[in-house]
Amino acid sequence: MTELDASGALTPRGDADVEAASGADGALGAPPGAARRQTVWADVRIYLGAVVVALVVNAVLLLAIGADPLVAYRQILSSSLGSVAALAQTLNRMTPLLLGSAAVAFAMRAGYVNLGVDGQIYGGAILATGTAFALYGLPAAVVLPAVLVAAILGGGTVALLPAVLRARRGVNELFTTVMLNFVAFYAADYLSTGPWTDPVAGEAISVPIGAEARLPGFLTGGGHIGILLALPLVVAMAWWLRRTRAGFEFRAVGGNPRAAQFGGVSLVATGVVALVVSGLVAGLAGGIEVTGVHRRLILGLTPNFGYMAVLIAVLARRSPLGAIPAAFGFAVLIVGSDSLQRSVGLPASAVFLFQAVVVLAVLYFEVRRGGVLAAVRGRVGR
Amino acid sequence: MAEAASARGVAVRASDVAVEMAGVSKRFGSVQALHAVDFSCRAGEVHALLGENGAGKTSLMNVLAGLYRADAGTIRLHGRVVEMRSPRDAIAHDIGMVHQHFELVQAFSAFENIVLGAEKRVWSMDADRHRGAIAKLARRYGFDVDLDRHVRDLEIGDQQKVEILRILATGARVLILDEPTTHLTPIEVERLYRSVREFARSGLTVILIAHKLREILAVADRLTVLRRGRLVGTLDAADADEPGVVEMMIGERGALGTASCPRTVVGPGTVLAVRGAASAEDQRAVDLADVDLTVRSGELVGVAGVAGNGQKELVELLCGLRPLAAGSILLGERDVSRCSVRERIRAGLATLPGDRIREGILPGAPLFESYALGLHQVWDRSGWRPRTVRDEAQSMIGRFRVVAPGADAPTAVLSGGNIQKVLVARALAIAGQGGDSVLVAMNPTSGLDVGAAAFVHGQLGAMCSRGAGVLLISEDLEELLAVCHRILVLYRGRIVGSYEREAFDRYAIGAGMVGSGD
Repeated sequence: MTELDASGALTPRGDADVEAASGADGALGAPPGAARRQTVWADVRIYLGAVVVALVVNAVLLLAIGADPLVAYRQILSSSLGSVAALAQTLNRMTPLLLGSAAVAFAMRAGYVNLGVDGQIYGGAILATGTAFALYGLPAAVVLPAVLVAAILGGGTVALLPAVLRARRGVNELFTTVMLNFVAFYAADYLSTGPWTDPVAGEAISVPIGAEARLPGFLTGGGHIGILLALPLVVAMAWWLRRTRAGFEFRAVGGNPRAAQFGGVSLVATGVVALVVSGLVAGLAGGIEVTGVHRRLILGLTPNFGYMAVLIAVLARRSPLGAIPAAFGFAVLIVGSDSLQRSVGLPASAVFLFQAVVVLAVLYFEVRRGGVLAAVRGRVGR
Repeated sequence: MAEAASARGVAVRASDVAVEMAGVSKRFGSVQALHAVDFSCRAGEVHALLGENGAGKTSLMNVLAGLYRADAGTIRLHGRVVEMRSPRDAIAHDIGMVHQHFELVQAFSAFENIVLGAEKRVWSMDADRHRGAIAKLARRYGFDVDLDRHVRDLEIGDQQKVEILRILATGARVLILDEPTTHLTPIEVERLYRSVREFARSGLTVILIAHKLREILAVADRLTVLRRGRLVGTLDAADADEPGVVEMMIGERGALGTASCPRTVVGPGTVLAVRGAASAEDQRAVDLADVDLTVRSGELVGVAGVAGNGQKELVELLCGLRPLAAGSILLGERDVSRCSVRERIRAGLATLPGDRIREGILPGAPLFESYALGLHQVWDRSGWRPRTVRDEAQSMIGRFRVVAPGADAPTAVLSGGNIQKVLVARALAIAGQGGDSVLVAMNPTSGLDVGAAAFVHGQLGAMCSRGAGVLLISEDLEELLAVCHRILVLYRGRIVGSYEREAFDRYAIGAGMVGSGD
């Protein structure tokens, strides 16, 4: 492998400049202590402030369309958390968001941006469905693990091309990952309307997978055990970043690629690991959606999970652990506001507006905090 | 007129003095960059501003160009006192500066870039109106550039022409060129200086900040020499000789502070041997060629040179970041020519990079992680235990008296001197494993106060006494003269001289650094 000059195209976007401002390493890297407690408090205040702002702005929005905000907010909470079945639905929705955002956050820790989570979810779903068809009729103990492994590999495969292009040619992964979203989408389109199509349905969905390839249920009301797979995986990713020497080198590239090179870290290897592992994790989300929710390959598999994953990763400050509460919050919001359509007649598009207000509010508070830390950095940069 | 006046030995008339700066002072934090400097130049002359790195040349010109506000002093243009609050004021007074890094829009054509400067109206742009004038300007000064090509497609020499044309198109009458020849080939340098003479002939004032003495003496009418922020003197180029100017530039200073050459037993073992090394061709860098150097056990070898002659590239070549096109690098007995950075660190090669913030630390990460970066390559390979690393860093903070809130503090809150202490501690830990270890340090004391610099020098000496070798690449000749056993001179990517301590000759070394050695 050739190590290119650090000023070359190979260098990831190191955030020597923004690292301090985002406090990113604080999420995992900073140890306990008085200073740490202070930053935690600052974080809590940011999120509380953002939630209050979002509630107020959305209340105005709801009043404008003639709905009672208090009724609406109660409806959101009860429909997403009010019963075991509601909670199961929320956890189902949280699973792909958590895996997707952990995947994005992981790559970001080394300075790479994976915008291809949607494509990687489709890649995982396609391989999972194909494997389920191929192993039809075998015992579940064989089929289900094989299907999930296939899903993981499917996601990794989709991410492999951007990784290699980045490592070998310095092609920016922002473009390649986004473009592969289309490739994976149309591949799923072809399979679900062509070879695998369900002739009865008359739309872009495949025939169902066998019962032996279905994810076991969890709680009630259609809940599945996906979240029980996702949580340990995300914790393991956080552990790897924090507690292994490879994880340290990985974060060092994200913190300052030039210094990492001087410290003997290979940017090529780090870039490949960042994008491929990110794809593997996103691929699992595709497998879980197929085996746990839809039981087939469908075209509407990911309603923009990929972009939401980026937002969640940013809110979580690039920390896989931070993505757990953030993804949960998003799932509550999505499940709850979906029900607003039925109860208070909120248009579907208003749901997105609702979410956007929350995200903007959090980002706004983040920037204000960043300003304070940037001032500290300015003192040093002298 | 001016010639007639000076020929008669009479002071020139006030109207002939285009720029007159008096008592200009400027301080940055604890560094006094300019001490009451007087400077004046005439209309129609090429005036060279000379001095070592950090002498204050660029600072003085940044004051004139409105980029810095002076703490004290006055600026007169054609006898009238003016206030320079911003670069806009300077442009309004027809002063233009070409910086070392061009301020061109890469995606625009050369013509568009020039018009951008020339067009004074905000709401409309009549590009074609300017085309004739710009083409005429280019012809007049012999700038044969294809104006319709994108700047990004132009060679660096042509980009420079575009930048100069852009400044001239703003109507500049005083043109400041900051080290314009750094990236040019000898032929391009010759062409540039022909144009510079042409500017002067047409009545412009050209102020040239430069290093390469022989070229300067050929092109300039007068010289002003600065040293450590003070004016040394101004003289006619006709009266100047190279040794005299070199002496003015580097002065007759005593040893630097408490720094002294480590009294260690040198050799006989060789810890670093570079034989006929050349770097792979790189348009954005100085190509190194035929580099031969040897560092023996216990020896402190200096590499002198003016910035931009291949120092950065030499560091990269040695530590494994820059591919080797020819020759070999040996650490002790081991040939590491094809080894990665990681393998070289494990073989005992430590580096103090030239830019401690950009190349040394993880600004947002806790201090113990910045300390561990690179050093982790030589630790137990199995694991990464944050607690152990933190304890290690905490004890380092105590031993080296680093002023830091603790091992957990973000690295970026440390001052430059304390960051350097951490990097020195790290390098010592890497090179202190025994065996044939080497430290390659680039400008390790630049920007440090006396105490921190003395600390760094003390640690370099301690390394030598432990039997390691040190290669000290520095732009500060005084530092090298004070601490090195041997000094090599680097000029345009080649080693052009080698001096043993008993035979140190600051004038010969200084001359080699500016390309006038023999």
